[in-house]
Amino acid sequence: MLKSCVLSGCKKLGSLVLRRSVLPEQAGVFRSVCSIPRGASHGPCSLRRLAPSSAACQQRPHVFTACHLETRCYSEVNRENSHSEKDTGVSSEESHERDGDGAPSQRPVDAFTIDVLVSLLRQENAVDMCVIKVPDQIKYTEYFIVASGISPRHLRAMALYAIKVYKFLKKDGDRNVKIEGKHSEDWMCIDFGNIVVHLMLPEIRDVYELEKLWTLRNYDEQLRNIPPDKLPEDFIYDVDITK
Amino acid sequence: MALPQLSRSLTGLLVGTSSIIQQRTFGVSPVAAAIQKMTRVRVVDNSSLGNTPYHRAPRVIHVYTKNGVGKVGDRVLLAIKGQKKKALIVGHKMPGERMSPRFDSNNVVLIEENGNPTGTRIKVPIPTHLRKLEGDFSKVLAIASSFV
Repeated sequence: MLKSCVLSGCKKLGSLVLRRSVLPEQAGVFRSVCSIPRGASHGPCSLRRLAPSSAACQQRPHVFTACHLETRCYSEVNRENSHSEKDTGVSSEESHERDGDGAPSQRPVDAFTIDVLVSLLRQENAVDMCVIKVPDQIKYTEYFIVASGISPRHLRAMALYAIKVYKFLKKDGDRNVKIEGKHSEDWMCIDFGNIVVHLMLPEIRDVYELEKLWTLRNYDEQLRNIPPDKLPEDFIYDVDITK
Repeated sequence: MALPQLSRSLTGLLVGTSSIIQQRTFGVSPVAAAIQKMTRVRVVDNSSLGNTPYHRAPRVIHVYTKNGVGKVGDRVLLAIKGQKKKALIVGHKMPGERMSPRFDSNNVVLIEENGNPTGTRIKVPIPTHLRKLEGDFSKVLAIASSFV
C-alpha cells in the first residue's frame, strides 16, 4: 500500500521523475539512500535542487517521510547518472545493480542506527559534526554526537528531521522522541536511548566544550579549574536512617 | 567510622561533626520532606553565581511542583546573592526509592529560563535515573563529569 501511495505521489513531481522505466523496488531505493552519503560530494547541490520537489511532496503528509527519502534518492540517482553521461551504460549498470542484489533482499535501512543518524546530519549540512563513542564504564549512552548549525532555524530543522526519520524507522522498542530545548534558540538535544545528539550554535559550543569533556573525561581543563570543595565547619552528617 | 555508630546509640545527643566542634547540645531529626521553601541548598556547578561567597546561603523560595516538595529532577526558584534564579534539584538528603542514591547535601544546578545550565561543568556525581524522569535533563547530564 505504501509503495503505491509513494508511486502516485512521485508521479506528481513530473520534472524530477526517472527517465528510465525502472520500477522503484524498495531494495533499490534504500540502497541508493545508503550509498549517497558516502559519496558526499553530491550532497549540497542535490539538496538545493530538491527544494521544489519536496515542497510538492508535502501535500501528502502521511507518506511524507517515505516520499521525502525517495525523492532525495531519485534526484541523486539522476544526478549521478547524468554525470556519467551514458544513458545505456548507466541503465545497464542500474539493472546490473538490481540483479546483483538477487531477489529484493532487504539491505534497506531497517533500524535507526548511528550510521543512519550521521548520514542524515550530513545531508542536512550539519557543521563540525563530532561523534564520540562513550566507553561502557560510563553507563549513560553509547554514542554522543555534537553538531553545529548555521542558525536556530537550521538546528530546529535538523532536530525535526532526525525525529521524523526515527519515527519512520521505529519498531516497538524505544519511545523517546522528545526534543529537549525546543524553545531555546541555541542548544537542542535529543536522547535516542543509545545515542544522544546535541545541536548547538558555534558560540555556545565554545562555551560548553562538550567534546572536550566527553573525550578527556577527568582530565578536562574546565573540570580541573574548579577549585576543590571544602566542607563548611558546621556541616552536620545526619543521624543514620534506616527505613 | 566510629562516629556514626556512636551517634546511633546516643540518638540525637551527640552528632557527628567536624573536628573543630566536638559536641552539640541539640538533636537532629531525620529529614522529613526533601526540598521545600526556605531550604538552604548547595549549588554544585561551576557557575560564578553559585560559587562566589555571600553572607547568606542560597535558599529555595518556590518549588515548581503540585505539592511544595521537590525531589530529584524538579525545578525550584532560588534566591542567590539577592537575585532570583531557577535551578534543578540533582540530589537531596532525604532517602528516596530503595537502590537509588542518597546524597549528604541538597544539591542543585543553576538553570536559565530556556533550560540551559548556567555553569559549564559539574564535579559532583549526578544520579543517572534523571534520564528516565520526565523533563529536559540531557543538558545537565551532558556537562556532568561523574554519574552515580
